Amino acid sequence: MSILLHKGTRVLVQGITGRVGRAQARWMLDYGTNIVAGVTPGKGGEEVEGVPVFNTVAEAVSERGAEASVFFIPAPAVKAAATETIDAGIRLIVVVTEHLPVHDAMEVRAYAREHGATLLGPTSPGIITPGESKMGIMPGNMFRPGRIGVISRSGTLAYEICADLAAAGMGQSTAVGMGADPVVFTGLPELLGLFDNDPDTDLVVIVGEVGGTQEEHAARFIPEHMSKPVVAYIAGHSAPKGKRMGHAGAIVQGSMGTAESKARALREAGVQVARYPLDVVALVNKVLRE
Amino acid sequence: MKLYEFEAADVLRAQGIPFPEYTVAATPAEARRAATKIGLPVVIKAQVLAGGRGLAGGVQTAETLDEVEKTAGRMLGSRVKGLPVECLVVAGRVAVAKEIYLGITVDGYLGMPVAILSTAGGVSIEEIAAKSPELITSRPVSIAAGLTLPEAEQIVREAALTGNEARAIAGNLYSLYRAFRQNDALLAEINPLARTPQGDYIALDARVELDDSALYRHPEFQNKYQERISNLLEKKGRDIGVTYVDLEGEISIIASGAGLGMATMDIISQKLRPANFLETGGAISAELLYQVMGLVMQKQNLKGLFINLYGGINPIHEGAKGIVRYLEEHPTPIPIVARALGNRQEETWEILKSGGITVVPKVATEKAVAELVRLLEASA
Repeated sequence: MSILLHKGTRVLVQGITGRVGRAQARWMLDYGTNIVAGVTPGKGGEEVEGVPVFNTVAEAVSERGAEASVFFIPAPAVKAAATETIDAGIRLIVVVTEHLPVHDAMEVRAYAREHGATLLGPTSPGIITPGESKMGIMPGNMFRPGRIGVISRSGTLAYEICADLAAAGMGQSTAVGMGADPVVFTGLPELLGLFDNDPDTDLVVIVGEVGGTQEEHAARFIPEHMSKPVVAYIAGHSAPKGKRMGHAGAIVQGSMGTAESKARALREAGVQVARYPLDVVALVNKVLRE
Repeated sequence: MKLYEFEAADVLRAQGIPFPEYTVAATPAEARRAATKIGLPVVIKAQVLAGGRGLAGGVQTAETLDEVEKTAGRMLGSRVKGLPVECLVVAGRVAVAKEIYLGITVDGYLGMPVAILSTAGGVSIEEIAAKSPELITSRPVSIAAGLTLPEAEQIVREAALTGNEARAIAGNLYSLYRAFRQNDALLAEINPLARTPQGDYIALDARVELDDSALYRHPEFQNKYQERISNLLEKKGRDIGVTYVDLEGEISIIASGAGLGMATMDIISQKLRPANFLETGGAISAELLYQVMGLVMQKQNLKGLFINLYGGINPIHEGAKGIVRYLEEHPTPIPIVARALGNRQEETWEILKSGGITVVPKVATEKAVAELVRLLEASA
């Protein structure tokens, strides 16, 4: 097993006719993702990389049985597309799009919750169940199948840490990119809970960074709800205050959201916290041996 | 994007929130004219994007026109909280009987707006939270339904306010929420909302922060945003579409992702000092990385460059071409170490090597940084 995404999950790609959507559809197909349809309004009837394109999500669902969707669409179009996709019955959506207005993110989040849909992002690198399927932009060659669950706010750091783990012979059950905007659709505690219930995950690695309070909430969740061990790494110990470090949500405000305060909260919750990415490998090894 | 007080006040006034009459002044003569029009006494307020300016001398009262001119002359060009004062607000002075804090902010974890009220207004909400958290009332707001007037009244009643006073404060909280929503704000704050001895409510200071990602819906602020970045290199970064954060060290960093960039910076900081943080985002092209090279190489006293790229959404082989073209046109003696992994990594390595860059394939960032340290020590 794995969480959220499995071999055979019938995937829809929204924005498949765009430059990025097209290129990423090719990488996903090469990886083995079961892409059954694409959607771009006005481009229905076309084909991209052998995948039929529809005008609406409802058609992709009724004609091709799409059950999960990944967005490569511009930020101003995300809110309407998310509503349409949820209304069409799809219950897993990966929003790769960057720079989604925070108010739109709040609206989409509320709508998704009301309808029981799981959305990842915005600014999600995607989700990958190594050896089975991937939705998003994660390069497949950085991952390998295994029994470690990974949750990351950053895409590139997820690649880094999964590659380090893979080099040490430790693969992933599923790696999830939750996104690093000020408001994300699905937070750390919920994703931790999914991994805790997954029989094929032995340990969860959190890849956090400065800004926001996701890690602090995880620190409250873990002692009460997690039966599996957790290892964490927090990026940005050297980040200056008051500067957005590339991600909209990666900003230290006053003494809030620093890497130190997050690391401390997690340590107090019994989590092993790495100071540098490569230290994650040693900590995971240590925890698994115990 | 943080707004100046006068911009924030304009935004809130448009929703019907009352402010004392105010005018923006950029010279002592303008301040004098403003005070003449408004009527003495006036309050002169430095326009800087920092809280706590009152205690830092950024808010002064003037009783006469000569005093207005003198105070304005002293404030303009000075620094308040380390920031240069380029303009002032001259506002009518209001007698204050009581101060209330009203704020709407985004709770990132809940993913909802939160309405906040405190009867201990006049100091920052952080200070109230630290000293007397029992005087803060807050409640999440459904983004779909918005903050209704009855809900606003309920929040005010929870703070033990009643009658006409409660109605007036609730009305302002309701309007504040509307300003928050209509402007795509991350924060909208009135502090203080003052009660005059006559029992009227009037806003004496305003703070608004807009969402950078939503500025495309607010063109009146989009252009100002660009002008507001004071660091030239950071401004240039913004111009070409990357995040550049200027730092004090000698080792430049180019990373193809924010998290990777921060981790790289942490690792480099163990033994070296980063000159900058640069994150390309997901739109790498040969042209973009050519421009990125031009940007980071402008920094004085560079001793080394570390490039860390992942090919996920980014075509890193294209980016590599831009880096190499820049180096062909602008040769540099400083050591450059690059790491590139992901889609089309082998092709990327070959291109980078052809530009004289030390490529460290398939190792952790820590080991690649160690290679840069070794090169620097060898050349020292």
